[in-house]
Amino acid sequence: MPTLEFHDPSGSIEVTQPHAPRVAALGGARVGFVSNEQWQAYRMLPLLKALLETDFPGIEVLPIDAFPQGNAVIGSEETAALVEASGVDAVVIGNAA
Amino acid sequence: MTNAVAGLGLAPHAAMVTFPIDMFLPGSDISPVQTRKQEFYDGLTRWRPAVGGDGAGKAPMIRVEGTSGEDTFARANHLMLANRWGDGLPLWPPTPARVDWILGGAAHPRGRKLGTFPPRGGVTTVESCAIALAMAGGRPEYLPVLVAAVEAFLDPVSGSETLQAASGSAFPVVIVNGPIGAWIRLNAGFGCLGPDPQRPAGAGIGRALRLLQQNLGGARPGTGTMANYGGLRYTNVVFAEDETNLPPGWASHGTERHGFAPGTSSISLAFANGATNIRRRGAKKETPEEDALQGMHRMADFMRVPNMAGLAGYEHGTPGILMIPGVVAQTMAGLGWTKASMREFLWEQSRIPAEQLRRAGGSAWIEIDTSKVARDSLALDPWPITARPDNFVIVVAGGGHPTNSYWLQGYSPGVVGRPIELPPALGRLLADAERDLGPP
Repeated sequence: MPTLEFHDPSGSIEVTQPHAPRVAALGGARVGFVSNEQWQAYRMLPLLKALLETDFPGIEVLPIDAFPQGNAVIGSEETAALVEASGVDAVVIGNAA
Repeated sequence: MTNAVAGLGLAPHAAMVTFPIDMFLPGSDISPVQTRKQEFYDGLTRWRPAVGGDGAGKAPMIRVEGTSGEDTFARANHLMLANRWGDGLPLWPPTPARVDWILGGAAHPRGRKLGTFPPRGGVTTVESCAIALAMAGGRPEYLPVLVAAVEAFLDPVSGSETLQAASGSAFPVVIVNGPIGAWIRLNAGFGCLGPDPQRPAGAGIGRALRLLQQNLGGARPGTGTMANYGGLRYTNVVFAEDETNLPPGWASHGTERHGFAPGTSSISLAFANGATNIRRRGAKKETPEEDALQGMHRMADFMRVPNMAGLAGYEHGTPGILMIPGVVAQTMAGLGWTKASMREFLWEQSRIPAEQLRRAGGSAWIEIDTSKVARDSLALDPWPITARPDNFVIVVAGGGHPTNSYWLQGYSPGVVGRPIELPPALGRLLADAERDLGPP
């Protein structure tokens, strides 16, 4: 029976770093937002902030503008350093479309 | 998004909450954020990656059986489409024999790593390029050009990491300079953007690059790439500058933009997201001077539009690539024009009055641009569509006929050049090509 053997063209990927660990619980946690200010982030992220504050007593949610905002700056090393230095336990990033 | 996550070196998939596009439009109903709030909470607390963190191994070989040679070939093609490895047109299955044949054109070992293909992060090697070129119907003598183009594509300066996933329907344009263009039958004249059965190199190289964008980079329509309309063509754009018809004193694009020594085989890669023919020649009894000037105005007028594509490369990239035929270049040169003076003219004449920019909402896009140079340009009236004249790319290419020029609208943060490294077996490969394809 005729056969053809050929390469899988999708190749391989390398996983070089783990995802950040999840927080055990949101009550008492410190949470930040990193916003690109696109795609209705200016409405959706404040709503999510309010929901978190309502549902989890003791949670501290930083202001939406606690870190630099906008597509131009949120991917920078400087922004990452600011987030790390803030001592947050978790970060929500938005919005992509 | 999984592509972007993998491209950062993380296991694919992330803790995401996804909504239909309607949620992201102005004035949308954002109440689903509340009704699905638990998904956000779970993402912060309970989510775990589905793939381990120890890396992915080399992909296995694929085996297909059929009732006949033709049936097996068809089944292989169906399988590649089912796995979303194809572009919809027939493919050559990249068998070891065919890939090894292509690798005869390699200047480096097959395992040499060129980088990772954004955004998915597929490991990219010389062999990866050969596999794509085999699938695309290419030939070994094309491989050096493809490898150089891939190196340029993977250079962060090109902007490929963003453009691969973005909605702007960007496609790479590869301009080849130096003798290799003619050697491998890369078209620089009539029909240089293809198709051309006698000079098919541009189609094979460009299609292979497109397959790499999809198969290693993950740029699949609607998921990996949000390009609204796609890239216009299956083959990207790959052509040679018509250096034999460069007027005396006019430098090639590779020399002018990238500083390569004249005669160097090289590529230059930029992104575009539009392509149009511009009627350049006059219709009546124009003098040569009038004909040249009117043509220049028609081209500049076409560029003077606030659609903001050029903002991507405002500071360091290009607002576009203007192709003019050799016969036009020689006429223009005879009248005293140079590539530099043409760029100066286009830069000045394509400036947009601030009021037109404002009414079209262009000012807002400039205000949020990442480049300070771009943001500062908002003070200029009329607004130049690029930071400086040198950003315009002018290439002599196209059939020897004076009527038309061609504009590839830039969408390109950078213009990246690479020398082409030639394989030791190139002479034999070119002889094989003449045997297979007939005289050039």
